[in-house]
Amino acid sequence: MVKPTRGVMSVGAIAALGVLAACGTTSTPTTSNSTAAGIAGCHGTITVATDLPLTGGDATDGPFPQLAAELAVNQAITAKLMGGCTLKYISKDDSTVLKNGHDPAQGAQNIQALASDATVLGVVGPFNSSVALAEIPVASTDHLALISPSNTNPCLTAVVAVCSDPTININTSSLYPAGHTYFRVIASDVQQSEIDSYIAYTVLKATKIYVIDDQEAYGRGLALLFKKYYAADGGNIVGSASLPGTTTTFATQVSLAKSEGAQAIFFGGTTGNGCGLVRRDMGSQHFNVPLLGGDGCEDTKFISDANSGSNTSEAEGSYATSAPDVTKLASSATFFSQYAAAYSAKPAPYNDGTKEPYTAYGYDAMNILLQAIHAVLVANGGQPLSDPTAFRDAVVTQLRQTSYDGALGHTSFDSNGDTTNTGFTLYKVTSGNWVGVNTYAVDTSGTVTVKS
Amino acid sequence: MSEYKGSATVDPGSLAAGGGTASLVAPAGLAPRQAQAGGLLGSIGPVVRAVHGWTSTYFAAILLLMIAVGIALTGFQHGYTLMGEQIKNALVLGAIYALVAIGYTMVYGIIELINFAHGDVFTAAGFYAFAIASVLHLDGLATSSFGGLLLALIIVFPLSMIAAGLTGVVIEFVAYRRLRDSPRLAPLITAIGVSFLIEGIMLVVEGPDNVTTHQASWINGQAFTVAGVSVLYTDLFTIGMALFLMFALGAFVRRTRLGKAMRSTAQDRTAALLCGININRTISATFFIGSALAAAAAIIYSINYGVLKWNIGFHLGIIAFTAAVLGGIGNIVGAGVGGFLIGVIYVFGGSLFGGEWSESLIFAVLVLILTFRPVGLFGVEVTTRA
Repeated sequence: MVKPTRGVMSVGAIAALGVLAACGTTSTPTTSNSTAAGIAGCHGTITVATDLPLTGGDATDGPFPQLAAELAVNQAITAKLMGGCTLKYISKDDSTVLKNGHDPAQGAQNIQALASDATVLGVVGPFNSSVALAEIPVASTDHLALISPSNTNPCLTAVVAVCSDPTININTSSLYPAGHTYFRVIASDVQQSEIDSYIAYTVLKATKIYVIDDQEAYGRGLALLFKKYYAADGGNIVGSASLPGTTTTFATQVSLAKSEGAQAIFFGGTTGNGCGLVRRDMGSQHFNVPLLGGDGCEDTKFISDANSGSNTSEAEGSYATSAPDVTKLASSATFFSQYAAAYSAKPAPYNDGTKEPYTAYGYDAMNILLQAIHAVLVANGGQPLSDPTAFRDAVVTQLRQTSYDGALGHTSFDSNGDTTNTGFTLYKVTSGNWVGVNTYAVDTSGTVTVKS
Repeated sequence: MSEYKGSATVDPGSLAAGGGTASLVAPAGLAPRQAQAGGLLGSIGPVVRAVHGWTSTYFAAILLLMIAVGIALTGFQHGYTLMGEQIKNALVLGAIYALVAIGYTMVYGIIELINFAHGDVFTAAGFYAFAIASVLHLDGLATSSFGGLLLALIIVFPLSMIAAGLTGVVIEFVAYRRLRDSPRLAPLITAIGVSFLIEGIMLVVEGPDNVTTHQASWINGQAFTVAGVSVLYTDLFTIGMALFLMFALGAFVRRTRLGKAMRSTAQDRTAALLCGININRTISATFFIGSALAAAAAIIYSINYGVLKWNIGFHLGIIAFTAAVLGGIGNIVGAGVGGFLIGVIYVFGGSLFGGEWSESLIFAVLVLILTFRPVGLFGVEVTTRA
């Protein structure tokens, strides 16, 4: 179940990781104890941390991956993953009262504070791409590994066509003043748009498409990338519009799309910015072609918005891609039951890890970090490196070689720190619910394959 | 007025006298002034003034010509079916803008206040209608038969309009009445405050997301098809209802005693008071009617689009306000026509240049009106105080 990281892990370490990987292997703490002999004599303190938004408007998001990461640390402590060394955990909150949620300035401060503690070897976080923009340069300067459970903005790791667009405007290279210490366990919008384009052109067989976006960094970025890949696939973009989130009617655009003979409409944006309303207006104009959206559209609000017009079942047959529903993965079952057991005393909804899509991502991110630290310790004869900076660099180098089977399935990182676990599931509204149709994966050359 | 004229007539004389003495003491002191008048800038000045004057005079014609060219271009580029569909879209949108714009213009006409809360009264009225329809189970009635639909409309329109009208009256009584004789800035800021207050209440009560009102299912089906353009019953209802309400308001203002009182209060409040008109009651009535029309617009909106959101009114209100300015703020007919024109500019601007330009175009038109014709298209007979 667990693949050894290239050449540096002992057989004992693999057995110890069996517990963390939560793949159903029946390792027990006692067996882990006896097999972690190489680092049993480890002296010192190793600290890992999370930086996630925990309060204010983000109190429904951040605490889930935070609790999952904490669970991973507690399991590692029980399993004595770091041998004789003390494993410490620090939780930082990047929300502020001022922003009523995630605050990039607070995030940067948190990373600065964590970096000044020489025992901190890595941080799981941040949750939001805007916070990542502020944190990545700090982490880079301080050689500190940063693993995000949820950032999807493609420009955080690589320069793609959309990064210079005025609505996005991210200079990727300026994010890394020193080394590249940032990783993420979730696929970016580049992969999502490649898959969207494949679905529109090959699966839905639409050769002409009309594209609408919501003028925000996520939606516009997704739409611009989609247009690029769709044109490369051979599709014809018959028109596009970029409308603010305050738009209440898309009748003008639907009329245009209809007149241009579009065989589908792609919406880059969120339901709050009108994804469902586009579908509603398609209904009132009797324009019966598929609507395809990204993960911003795949929610229950889309269905109620689309059905709010004269056709009360207009949402039926709409498509959207979204992150795979990890709660349905066989690999995540053990994790979710462990989460439920560990946090049964927490108030709802925090006692149920499946209530938030990023819970398992937080768990795997922390386990990948712990696994890398463990591997560095083992490679160094079971002892921490004496130079803290060299120790952090060794952890980052080790993270690049990650090959980990966890709740999300198999994760490794490409040269930009992006996960190679790039699945996206196509969902379709069927009988008033989003139902998964197929899961697609895309490789680095842009070839899309059907995973399931 | 007279003071200004007086000083204006004095000015040239004093300048001439100044010039005279200056030439004795320091002739160079006035030289730059004369050089400017004779130079390049001096010759451009009159041209600019002439162009400005000409544009001001023919502003309405230029605007209408540009709109006509835009409509025709859409037809040439994408075919006449699209042109027809976009005209239909524009009229539906314009009807809603027009009804909201009338509320802005009536209030401005009578107390010279830009009632920023008006757009939020629109949203609140939509939620009143939603609540009334839910409590009385009108959804089932409206979709049962044509008679049921009429009955539902006859119930929901007056009740929501009365509720919204009372909201407007309360806002005026609580927030604006005491500030009537304060500097203009005070009631303006209060209006913005009231706007935020109403939005806050709606956010708390109705939540941050779109609320489905189910009223879009009230009127269903396609009425007829003209040249490939399918016209729905909702389109006819929207435009017809808006025109009916506007003509009813026009008749009310022209024919009734209260309407006459409103017109005279708008012209000169003090004189109206001296004639025995109850100013407070007249102003309250204005707020009532303006808000009631916003309620009608909100129901029409809800029947068209089926969703309401706590903050739609603010945005829609600003566009409707532009419509009121375009028509000539204070002028009811102007607001109606302005609403339809803004609808046409919104839709055809979006159709020709891309949707992202729709709102930019509307506010560009606002800037142009304020530059070239601040009194608006129909602004000739507006009160001179504006």
